[in-house]
Amino acid sequence: MSDYSRKFEALLPDVEKPARYSGGEWNTPDMNKRVRADMCFCFPDLYEIGMSNLGVQILYDIINCREDFRAERCFAPAPDLAELLKKNDIPLLSIETRKPLKDFAVVGFSIGFELLYTNVLYMLDLARIPFRACDRGEDMPILIAGGPCSVNPEPFAPFFDAVVCGEGEEVDLEILRTVADGKERGLSKAQILENLSRIEGTYVPSLKRTGYVVRKAVVKDFENAPYISRPLVPNIESVHDRATLELYRGCASGCRFCQAGFWYRPIRERSAKKCASLAKNMLESTGFDELSLCSLSTSDYTGLEQLENELSPYCRERGITMALPSLRISSFKPDMARDSRRSSLTFAPEAGSQRLRNVINKNVSEEEIDKIAVAFEAGYDSVKLYFMMGLPTETDEDIAGIADICRRLKSLYWEKRHKKGLNISVSCAVFIPKPCTPFQWEAQISLDEMKRRQAYLRGLLKGIKGVNFSWHGAETSVLEAALARGDRRLADVIEEAYKTGARFDSWSEHFKWDVWQAAFESRGLKAEQFTRARDLDEELPWDFIDPGVDKEYFKKERALAYKGVTTRNCREGCNGCGALKEGRCTIL
Amino acid sequence: MIALKYVKSGNMRFVSHIDLLRHASRILRRAGIPVRFSNGFNPHPLIFFSPPLGLGVASEAEYIAIDAPMAAAEALERFNLSAPAGLKATRAFDLKSNPNLQARIVAADYVYPYAYRDIDFSRFEITYLKKGEVVSEDAAAKILGATSEGGKLCLRLATGGVNLRPDRLLGALNGIYGEDAKVTDILKVRQFALEEGKLVLVDEILK
Ligand code: SF4
Repeated sequence: MSDYSRKFEALLPDVEKPARYSGGEWNTPDMNKRVRADMCFCFPDLYEIGMSNLGVQILYDIINCREDFRAERCFAPAPDLAELLKKNDIPLLSIETRKPLKDFAVVGFSIGFELLYTNVLYMLDLARIPFRACDRGEDMPILIAGGPCSVNPEPFAPFFDAVVCGEGEEVDLEILRTVADGKERGLSKAQILENLSRIEGTYVPSLKRTGYVVRKAVVKDFENAPYISRPLVPNIESVHDRATLELYRGCASGCRFCQAGFWYRPIRERSAKKCASLAKNMLESTGFDELSLCSLSTSDYTGLEQLENELSPYCRERGITMALPSLRISSFKPDMARDSRRSSLTFAPEAGSQRLRNVINKNVSEEEIDKIAVAFEAGYDSVKLYFMMGLPTETDEDIAGIADICRRLKSLYWEKRHKKGLNISVSCAVFIPKPCTPFQWEAQISLDEMKRRQAYLRGLLKGIKGVNFSWHGAETSVLEAALARGDRRLADVIEEAYKTGARFDSWSEHFKWDVWQAAFESRGLKAEQFTRARDLDEELPWDFIDPGVDKEYFKKERALAYKGVTTRNCREGCNGCGALKEGRCTIL
Repeated sequence: MIALKYVKSGNMRFVSHIDLLRHASRILRRAGIPVRFSNGFNPHPLIFFSPPLGLGVASEAEYIAIDAPMAAAEALERFNLSAPAGLKATRAFDLKSNPNLQARIVAADYVYPYAYRDIDFSRFEITYLKKGEVVSEDAAAKILGATSEGGKLCLRLATGGVNLRPDRLLGALNGIYGEDAKVTDILKVRQFALEEGKLVLVDEILK
């Protein structure tokens, strides 16, 4: 424990949910071993959210399983603690040993969402670490970033010494080895960075020059890749308060708006046998009474039936609930509903009309939506539907289709059941054109148009009893799109926004659109510059990162989208996206 | 029915009573202690705690009663192998029925980090913050005794229906001593129930 320990702990009774910061969770690894290098994993959001992040848990576990390295954690403190830290002159500390972030060899941020960018600066500020890599001397730790936002790291690149693009399981260890080796040999930071740039999947922004290409890091042998052996058990409720098992990486569906679906290719499944043993091990070491199976489209998993057969009796005996999230309508079976003791179904048709679903390659047909009737028979009284608004080629007719689906479900419900009445909640996000998708060149609809379409849909849904409508903030969607597709100029904008009060942008009560607009203007920019349509032959800020999937494939998929032609699921056969060069798709 | 007396210290001081309730069933599940469940539509594990301990305060005398068909001594051993650092069972009791400690406990002893000194508690004005407002009260009636415990000041405070939070005395005591003790420096050392008009150690009741 550091010198700050007592002083820090004395503050805790005065803040909301002090167990966010105290640590001491069950399964906390040995923090007393002597190591060659240590790393602090930073998650730029609150504890409850960060602790639900699978990536952080996996990497934390992998590093702590090594004898020569140690990983600790730090989450963004809520504003109440941040204020107390400043007032009491305490820098931001790691949870486990209450060590100042700047005393670590490596500080690694996991960034999974564009609206967390200002929180990175918020944490660096509290940690008293200069924001820009070029302003940090030899005495400062090596700062790395990783996580899904590494698809386009340019907007935050100047803040980091290195960015891990792709999957971190192998890269993070290699980085620690390289840093430890450099320190032991007395190398300068510049020399260490030079060495880091040679690790596959590691982007060193200060070394970027024309022709620089970073290949995404991929775990080739996913079957045997280490998984969380001893998950931490949070002492306060976290967002996913249960054991989570990752069945496979990548996705065979090929939805054209979905970044994760392309970024995590090739498709690599873990065998049902392996999954079952990992699950049992996790449940036994944590005492959780709920298991969730997690992947981009869990019900597509080849071994699902075998896995359910292996785990169902085990779970039943012990009173453990097995939850299956992100079900696809097309793979829904009646007994799934009966097994999971839930009263609400979740489906994501994403678009209201068949035409538009073909455009985005969401292979859900009207007949499949009708299959929800099976769930009504099984006892469900409530359905959650997820849609996106502003998809390429969308018209008011497509939006009206959302209301049609609601009406259709209501009549199906009354055919099957005559009890409480059906509750439908419609949640509508705004389409964000993201890098590494066939829609990476698309325009996002304007703010005014978002508001008009939201009002239009709200009007249509008002007339249907039992339908609840919620939507995402239009302004945050503009910001998310701009940050997702921006270039290095945005680092200045992010810094300016932070300095003028932006943080926790993903929390509607903290989001300050005027601050952001002013920050863009202060650099002679506008958010709309980054949400406009791009030319197919224009150079894109993230072109230097090779995600495995070929740019030509994205172009081909985009052309098919405009023709309304779908692409088959990869499980029916390879579509030649190019990801195979990074490793085998095990479903083939 | 079994009862365990346990220590709550270190990082666990910051885990609230409600969160501890939630976590307890996980500890028992890991420990393989077969807790019985209540009947009814929404079965819950039959686990009962002594009254809530204030956030930040450490204790050497917390209690948990568990309805489980297992010898208390074995449960203690298993509990300690499965509890996070900062929770440690120190005594085990085999019982016939739920001791209902939540309702019966009326007082507790707290050791403060000050050298013992004779203080007049017959009138004792304290001020503290309650929901953002400064509140003053005469706490004399809720301070049931003051003794020296290893040279330190030990106060017996009313707990339960009539209740005095140990941290609310800090302002007044810090003033007297000219020190800056924090809530995290307070240690609860024993708890009492009322039996035939007398304070009896909880350990004695469970024996
Ligand atoms: S390589 Fe083929 S099977 Fe694998 S993700 Fe690409 S298209 Fe699908």
